Amino acid sequence: MAGIWIFAENREQTLELLNAGRNLAQDFKAKVVTFALNVHLAEEYINHGSDEVLLLPLLGQDQSLESYVPVIAEVARQEDPDVFFIGGTQRGREIAARVAARLNTGLCGGCTGYKVDQKNKLLLMNRMILGGAAVQTVVCTTRPQMAVIPPRTFEQAPLMEGRQGKVIELPAAQPSAVKVINRTPKVQESVDLTEAKIIVSVGRGMEKKEDLSLALELAGVLGGEVGCSRPVAEELHWLPEERYMGISGKKVKPDLYIGLGVSGQIQHITGIRDSKIIFGINRDENAPIFEAADYGIVGDLYEVVPKLIKELKVLLKK
Amino acid sequence: MLNIIACFKWVVDEADVKIDAKSRALLMERVGYKISDYDRNAIEEAVRLQEQHGGNVVAATVGPSTAKQCLKDALSRGPERADFINDPSFVDLEPEQTAAILATAIKAKEEYDLIICGEGSSDLYAQQVGPALAERLGIPCATCVNKLTLAESKKEIIAERKLDDGMEVVSMPLPALVTVLPDINTPRIPTLKQVLGAAKKPVDNITLNDLGQTYKPCLQTTGILAATMERRRLKFGADEKNILVIIGALLKEGVIA
Ligand SMILES: Cc1cc2nc3c(=O)[nH]c(=O)nc-3n(C[C@H](O)[C@H](O)[C@H](O)COP(=O)(O)OP(=O)(O)OC[C@H]3O[C@@H](n4cnc5c(N)ncnc54)[C@H](O)[C@@H]3O)c2cc1C
Ligand SMILES: Nc1ncnc2c1ncn2[C@@H]1O[C@H](COP(=O)(O)O)[C@@H](O)[C@H]1O
Repeated sequence: MAGIWIFAENREQTLELLNAGRNLAQDFKAKVVTFALNVHLAEEYINHGSDEVLLLPLLGQDQSLESYVPVIAEVARQEDPDVFFIGGTQRGREIAARVAARLNTGLCGGCTGYKVDQKNKLLLMNRMILGGAAVQTVVCTTRPQMAVIPPRTFEQAPLMEGRQGKVIELPAAQPSAVKVINRTPKVQESVDLTEAKIIVSVGRGMEKKEDLSLALELAGVLGGEVGCSRPVAEELHWLPEERYMGISGKKVKPDLYIGLGVSGQIQHITGIRDSKIIFGINRDENAPIFEAADYGIVGDLYEVVPKLIKELKVLLKK
Repeated sequence: MLNIIACFKWVVDEADVKIDAKSRALLMERVGYKISDYDRNAIEEAVRLQEQHGGNVVAATVGPSTAKQCLKDALSRGPERADFINDPSFVDLEPEQTAAILATAIKAKEEYDLIICGEGSSDLYAQQVGPALAERLGIPCATCVNKLTLAESKKEIIAERKLDDGMEVVSMPLPALVTVLPDINTPRIPTLKQVLGAAKKPVDNITLNDLGQTYKPCLQTTGILAATMERRRLKFGADEKNILVIIGALLKEGVIA
């Protein structure tokens, strides 16, 4: 059952990987094999281009997705896939690392893209290093060639006509010693920063939570959204985690990014690299944000932002 | 009593890396080194649990033999002892090699209840060494942990995980491994006394020879290209006139309206 294997924890990401998998299947002259969590999804994956589906067994109430590791690793050991792509959620990353360790193979974590060496059936996989300061290309010399692929790297595979495929049920998983004792699902955030045209980003240069109103007002005048750096979301908890940008957060591509008291360290810049215009306000003239910005104001955000809002209100007639 | 191993990596300070814009090569001549940012949280959490429950903290690192400086830095943060697993060839290791090396060394000489790793290293951010090490040691693991408590029985650890889809609280029998998020704690800044004291703490020097095997990478690097950005890099003062100039430019760019 060699082939291009795909595992992701949800439908969207599985379909994204299926798209990449279909293309690779042609290059490798191999079939696409997808893991599914239920029969309904299995059927859907076949309709979107999977040749075979490995149906994962139901998990006990106290088991987390990660307890599939032994099942996934075992079937991979028996069937020897050429390539194994795993969707880059947090759970996906853990599963990938553990499966790769069991299979004694190489894993490109955070693979942002790849080229195919058709002759040798090898993937030249890219990953970011040094917080995103550089892109490294790696080749996996053992089987399967494994990669963790972040969400939204590829478009979802389209529905195909008249597809048929085989569904193979996998044996029950041995209960894991890791027992889930409580789950609190996340409330879905209404704002999708990746779609925003204008983002006002708050950094640790902001002194207190109440001052967020300054960022909100600026975003309001411009018709944009408010985002932040990782510490603002994760250490200060001023904004939800979905609002931070960077190598471990959202990758955004607005027309305009305005950083307020954001130092502009590489891990943050990596997430905003594709912005059309970057505008930074920072009181430290040596802050790295100025190296990454088109326009910069060296000054205290508490002085600059109110002035900026005032002028914008006049000029944009708001 | 808890015997805890905190794994830390000694990494290039990425803020020091310069880029040759033409060749897109990384210029590493004048870089400094540091404990990988989030590994400070791993060490802090180990020390915190030890203070609460008694026991021992060992700081373990795999790196080139020249990385000796890292030991004092790590030990000044509270661990009693360090495992310095080193060889001149231990540079640019792939996570799978690091995990395999740590596993051999830990199996050979450590008795432990808990291993704590960082969420991901500052240079590779592979988020791989922790879970891969757990597999190699055959112990349960939980990643992305932002709260750790020892169960009353003291035979289990309760870990709160922060994941894309929400929070998940798990319990695991010890020995176990966790990887911790930076918001699990705020690492203390070592005092002068701790810095001076660190030099006197014991270090176990573990060499490739002691490990008794070799570690080949499964991934080969075929190229590295610095990420560059075309930006105007115009810097202005904070007065009204400049603000108007910038607003004018943004209007002209068509990014605001
Ligand atoms: C593995 C790893 C992954 C990471 N991933 C991410 C990520 O995805 N996203 C992310 O954002 N970070 C990430 N980080 C953290 C990153 O390295 C930086 O620490 C973080 O981005 C800094 O946030 P900041 O700019 O808000 O804070 P700081 O670096 O503390 O900067 C605050 C800035 O505000 C300025 N300032 C202070 N007061 C004022 C004022 N009154 N007016 C104007 N300016 C003022 C200061 O001059 C300073 O430049 C990661 C780190 C690691 C190690
Ligand atoms: N060379 C190393 N020595 C000791 N621990 C390491 C080393 N490399 C990585 N780790 C640990 O593994 C974690 C994840 O690293 P990585 O898989 O590279 O993202 C780090 O936060 C450390 O706790």
